[in-house]
Amino acid sequence: MEKEFITINEKETAVKIQNTRVNAVRMKDIVKKGVRVYKDGKIGISGAVGEVPDEVLIENAVQNLNAGISYPYELSGNLKDHRDYGKNRMSGDQLLECAEGILEKLRTEYSDFDFSESILTREISWQMKNTRGLDLEYRDSYITLGLILKERKSANVIDGFLQYYGRNFDLDKFWAFNSELLEAYRNEVSLPEGDTLPVFTFEFHELLRFLSRSLNGEIYATGGSIFSNKMGEKLFNEKITIEQNMSPIYRAEPFFDMEGVVLENDRYTLIEKGRLVNVYTDKRTAAIYNLPHTGAASGDYDGMPSLTRAPVRFAVDSDDIKAALGGKMAILVAVSSGGDFTADGSFAAPVQVGFLFDGEHIIGKLPQFSIRSHLYKMLGEDYIGTFESKHFYLGDGTLLQGYYMTVAR
Amino acid sequence: MLQEQKVRSNKGAFIRVFDGNRWYYSSLTDLSRVQECIDTLARMATPNPSIMEHPIVKAFEVNRDRIIQHERDSIADVPAAEKQALLEEYLKLLDYPEIVHHTSYYVDNKTIKSIYSSKGTAVTFDKQTCGIRLNLELACGDNKNSDVVSKAAIRFDELRGLEDYFKERIEKSVAFVREAVPVELGIYTVLLSPEATGVFTHESFGHKSESDFMVGDETMKAEWALGKTIGRDLLTIVDDGLELGNGYVPYDDEGTRGKKTYIVKNGKLMGRLHSAATSAALGEPLTGNARAINFQFEPIVRMTTTYIEKGDRPVKDIIAEIDKGIYVETVRHGSGMSTFTIAPSRAYKIENGNITTPVKVSVITGNVFETLAEVDAVSEEFELMSFVGGGCGKMEQYPLPVGFGGPYTRVRKLTVQ
Repeated sequence: MEKEFITINEKETAVKIQNTRVNAVRMKDIVKKGVRVYKDGKIGISGAVGEVPDEVLIENAVQNLNAGISYPYELSGNLKDHRDYGKNRMSGDQLLECAEGILEKLRTEYSDFDFSESILTREISWQMKNTRGLDLEYRDSYITLGLILKERKSANVIDGFLQYYGRNFDLDKFWAFNSELLEAYRNEVSLPEGDTLPVFTFEFHELLRFLSRSLNGEIYATGGSIFSNKMGEKLFNEKITIEQNMSPIYRAEPFFDMEGVVLENDRYTLIEKGRLVNVYTDKRTAAIYNLPHTGAASGDYDGMPSLTRAPVRFAVDSDDIKAALGGKMAILVAVSSGGDFTADGSFAAPVQVGFLFDGEHIIGKLPQFSIRSHLYKMLGEDYIGTFESKHFYLGDGTLLQGYYMTVAR
Repeated sequence: MLQEQKVRSNKGAFIRVFDGNRWYYSSLTDLSRVQECIDTLARMATPNPSIMEHPIVKAFEVNRDRIIQHERDSIADVPAAEKQALLEEYLKLLDYPEIVHHTSYYVDNKTIKSIYSSKGTAVTFDKQTCGIRLNLELACGDNKNSDVVSKAAIRFDELRGLEDYFKERIEKSVAFVREAVPVELGIYTVLLSPEATGVFTHESFGHKSESDFMVGDETMKAEWALGKTIGRDLLTIVDDGLELGNGYVPYDDEGTRGKKTYIVKNGKLMGRLHSAATSAALGEPLTGNARAINFQFEPIVRMTTTYIEKGDRPVKDIIAEIDKGIYVETVRHGSGMSTFTIAPSRAYKIENGNITTPVKVSVITGNVFETLAEVDAVSEEFELMSFVGGGCGKMEQYPLPVGFGGPYTRVRKLTVQ
């Protein structure tokens, strides 16, 4: 019988904020453990939150073998890879001092806004080991700043956010960007003329979610994906490359999947120069549907490895937004909540907060509007590019992406 | 093919200390360290001899109670094999060529929660939910769709004998992928099913009634002043923590007794949802709405079971009055900022008083300040429900189980895209 152990440690100090003042400090120290046992082509699982002895978890996992869950796949093994991405750790006291400094400046210089929510520092470690010689460890430490911004003159619940996620928080860069952002709130401007306008987004969650679902190997192979039967076909603009990207830099998750697979350079190309070249798979999906195995297993620490949603990321393909705009003014989407794609790729979303953007700087705040497009248009003829976010200080690896879209006032 | 069978049993504690200026929170899984943790937090806080006179501390209720309802019908006592067998029975209903893939599961949760405070509260209660969820991937030629068919319950036996319930919904999903056409964009009269009414109520108005958004905000207080008319007489919105289901909160996570709170009554704003802190800040009564998603987070103001009260008209009469509209039957998700959204899973045209062709809709939107006034009919048919999986999100705290629902609700003007 082979055994596999997953241990997650999570320590967090969060400074909670209300009405631009610290109102609480929260500390968390949590251990989660999962154990898997493999015997005669079957898998058994167990897990616990807290320090439960391995022997107890092994016994529970052995009992779980009775569920008869088949797992006839080769275990990952003979690999040691330990990585630490967060060497500049910020202590709880340093975090509190940093938060107090930011809030003091917000209270004095931006008193027409109210800020709430949290700034936190989190230390995490994931270990995955098994009796086949697998020994993987991911350690990280990062800061997440997420402040709800509320204009005092507004009757909205939320008027925007100040955000940062990363490992090397630079206060000067934070203020350089956010001062410009907050000034833009004070400058209300009109939408540019025209129904079709260049629109830029930071993390376009609806698009990434739709692509991730559509590139799921099992959904692809069973015919439920918009891309089903299109392997090898050119789907998008030839500038576009999309990868299954397991790098922790962008997402603070392990570089290995839940079957202990480590990818070369932590990535696997799915769309190359606009062409569909792969879909992502775990061991089971690759075997059943005869697809290349891309190491995309997900699942709970105490669950079965499964194929749900892999992290997909656009490769940077352009570097000068101003040149790409050719003198046009663009729209920068800051808050767009609730939009979605239909299954056949039509997209519509309200934009609750958007800014006029000249390709370098945020000019002013726009009235609410909505945007519409279709997957194949926005990533095809209407695609502008994916850019590294150099000026916008939102965190490690933030991208800016542009497309022409229909804008409805 | 069965892919997972798991029984998870966790214990944890959340502790907080208040010195009149700040809260100090900690969560832990080693329950033998509770006193040690209290001592650590107390050392971080500044001693305050007048703490019992602080308005927030004074606002806390002191309750001593024990409500254990599920000793005889505990879902924990039902063998896993029995749960698996029940799910497998319903999987037999998925035999359609259009259902190309599915991920389906049975899930249950039993929680025993104890709340203690230094003012003397000592409350213990249990809560359980169970459910079956069928996540369907459908395809018919180039038409694709994802849909969810689910049923939540309190007791395991309530999930038996639901073949007709599941069959009807599965057949609607299959017909939808076969027949749905793109919607013509525009402003429509929209009829919302009880499920869609629940999401609409939660997103368009429920979050605005969470009073932590209002503390220290004079504009919000003026906009949402109690007594203000925001809808027609027929509109009454309730949050009820005593309703069994996902939103069942006999005591909230501060130990305040759960209540039925009218937030809108006959079109007028009547109340707001409160924690002890917001209740003290706004000078309004406690409502039992301080909730945390689990022991790792602090209680904040959240909804419980939120719904529009039923009306007195049959839904068929309400539909008969619509010449051109959209009927939203099921919902993928919703959101509730200044513009609220509903992303339908299945929607249909209404033509000349009849529900007709299925239509693919990306999103339905409306302005939260205007839309409640556009509600002009609510049906006598009424249903409350709970999602199986997922829940409500508020910043870092997701998913919180909530109940929702209501009557069929007609909204005169919404943007459909």
